[in-house]
Amino acid sequence: MALELKSSDNKIFEVEELVAVQSETIKSLVEDGCADNVIPLPNVDSKTLELVLDWCKNHVDMKLDEEKLKEYEDKFIEVDQAVLYDLLLAANYLNIKDLLNRACQKVADMLKGKTPEQIRETLNIVNDFSPEEEEEIRKENLWAFEE
Amino acid sequence: MEREREGERNGVDISVLPEGCISNIVSLTSPKDACTACAVSPIFRAAAESNAVWETFLPPDYQAIITRSSSTSLDSSNFSSKKQLYLSLSDNPILIDDNKKSFFLDKSSGKKCYLLAARDLCIVWGGTPQYWRWISLPESRFPEVAKLLDEWWFDIRGKIHTSMLSPNTNYAAYLVYKLARRAYGFTNPPPKASVGKSGEGEDYKQTVCLCMPAVEPSQQDQVVLPQQHTSHPKLRKDGWLEIELGEFFNKGGEDELQIRLMEVEAGTQKTGLIVEGIEIRPTKG
Repeated sequence: MALELKSSDNKIFEVEELVAVQSETIKSLVEDGCADNVIPLPNVDSKTLELVLDWCKNHVDMKLDEEKLKEYEDKFIEVDQAVLYDLLLAANYLNIKDLLNRACQKVADMLKGKTPEQIRETLNIVNDFSPEEEEEIRKENLWAFEE
Repeated sequence: MEREREGERNGVDISVLPEGCISNIVSLTSPKDACTACAVSPIFRAAAESNAVWETFLPPDYQAIITRSSSTSLDSSNFSSKKQLYLSLSDNPILIDDNKKSFFLDKSSGKKCYLLAARDLCIVWGGTPQYWRWISLPESRFPEVAKLLDEWWFDIRGKIHTSMLSPNTNYAAYLVYKLARRAYGFTNPPPKASVGKSGEGEDYKQTVCLCMPAVEPSQQDQVVLPQQHTSHPKLRKDGWLEIELGEFFNKGGEDELQIRLMEVEAGTQKTGLIVEGIEIRPTKG
């Protein structure tokens, strides 16, 4: 059975139900009988939705081949930061646990072992703390800054 | 839409992620990284200090372990957050199991660590007052430590169930001790140590050189077998000495680990060893 999903930029995607219900959000809609018409996904653009659906399809196809799936996942998550955040947000909104975890892990790996300055540079974060605030936080967490 | 964002710094802004997602991300790093993350930005601080994050760093059975302590100050309501509880368990070991064990967390990894008190160990002839005396020392965390008065049969054993330890972790065991002024008998020959599963046969890989070079006045020749590794004492922050007895990798599961330190062959008289206990903690790196 096929479902129709509509991205935020009004593109329609026809998807097999088995693939689409990898998303717990869509699964609930199907179970509640609300999936007969096109399902609007105002929070996901077509570029991201295409990637997400590719993930879901491969997770159905490769379900029994752990090694192949891992290889696919590792390659899949090698995207630039903007795409990574879009995937993370989409996975969160659509409630696709394995994609959410993998995307979170990728960002986590970018943070490990870095100083606050390095984290800010990697993630393009503005430092909203005053120098006094930052000093206080460093003092509170002194052990993490010693080496 | 993409071009608009490029006008800003690269257009990638982590604040688009809900706090719950950022907490999720931080919980996949490490306790140390979570503390560093607090200094990044207010959003990161809120996420990194959340109970959701620190609950994942605490061992899954931390509540059960805390209930094994008779101390009332460990009521979790005394801690303003899971982070405070984590830091407290790392910095301030707690006594459990009728004051026979001391429990703490390895701060950087959250892995479980124990110091088994001398009273928790099997010290051969430990109950015989001519050989071993049980005394109270202010610098000990336990009510009693064992002091060796005079013995040639030296055999100390500690045991712990591997289920009490963190799985998939490389651990090392250490004798925590002091030497009285006139300690002797531990050099020629030095005791040997083994660390392994109970009942699997003992493999004595480690020769244990208990004496700091300055303490032993006579430089006797030490008999060190070529295939054995010799460990030397280090001074700990709590003022005791420690010496490595061996390492083992804990896969998890329900085994019993045995740590043994022994010298029973030479018939040489030994005296002056004060035993605080045996500590088991993860190796670094």
